[in-house]
Amino acid sequence: MEMLLMGACLSVFGLAVCCLAFGAATRDSVNPVAASPGVEPGVEKEIVKAAASPARFFVDPPMLPMAARTRVPIEALLLQIENHVRLEHAAAECFLESPNASLLHSRTISTLVN
Amino acid sequence: MADIDLLKGLAPDEAERVLALGKRVVVTTGGELFHLGDAAESIYLVARGRLRLTLPMQVRSHEEDILVEERSSGQTVGWSALIPPYRFTLTASAALETEVIALPREALNSYFAAHPGTGYTVSLNLSSVIGHRLQLFQAMWLREIQRMVEMRCA
Repeated sequence: MEMLLMGACLSVFGLAVCCLAFGAATRDSVNPVAASPGVEPGVEKEIVKAAASPARFFVDPPMLPMAARTRVPIEALLLQIENHVRLEHAAAECFLESPNASLLHSRTISTLVN
Repeated sequence: MADIDLLKGLAPDEAERVLALGKRVVVTTGGELFHLGDAAESIYLVARGRLRLTLPMQVRSHEEDILVEERSSGQTVGWSALIPPYRFTLTASAALETEVIALPREALNSYFAAHPGTGYTVSLNLSSVIGHRLQLFQAMWLREIQRMVEMRCA
């Protein structure tokens, strides 16, 4: 009887530990901005944008392009976009000169997407 | 004149007569030739300089004009003037001081009605300009879709 009770207690304890671990793995992390009431709404938006995706167990963080991962000044970002358009334009021109699948999907060196 | 894409295949004197329908316009550096949504009354041939064709895009909550294409000497800009609903679908501004020949739609239509052979040649050239733009952007669009798919599947 004592063995049976001990086994039941251990099972319940094990189940509770599993539930806590599962809850921790699947719960969203607390928004850091919500915890700081002094932050203005505009700033809050910027911080939220800049924040990376919340870390979760079993989930790999999404691969973001370099431009999204680092907070570049807007002038630099616009130059990156312009450079990207030029490179894509040139790649499309190459494809039109000799249309084939490999040229259509040739890799780009654009910093906007790499 | 042989370098003007819209007038390819025309005899020099015939090309001169078409050009005589237009007037030369100089756009200073940074100046706008036309704006997205404006009524398109004239098609433009770039005589010298360089034009930036841009579209508005939201970048960090600000509207920015993003380069879509560049046009330089001998190239045609603003073919929306010949295609209903006659509204520009891009903004054109000068990357540096640029001179264009503005050919009004009304003048071209009247001339082509009287000279159908010239109208046919110019129409073929215009088809090439539009077709090339379509193929180019089709390829660019597909490359972006491919990248999006790769990011989704990563």
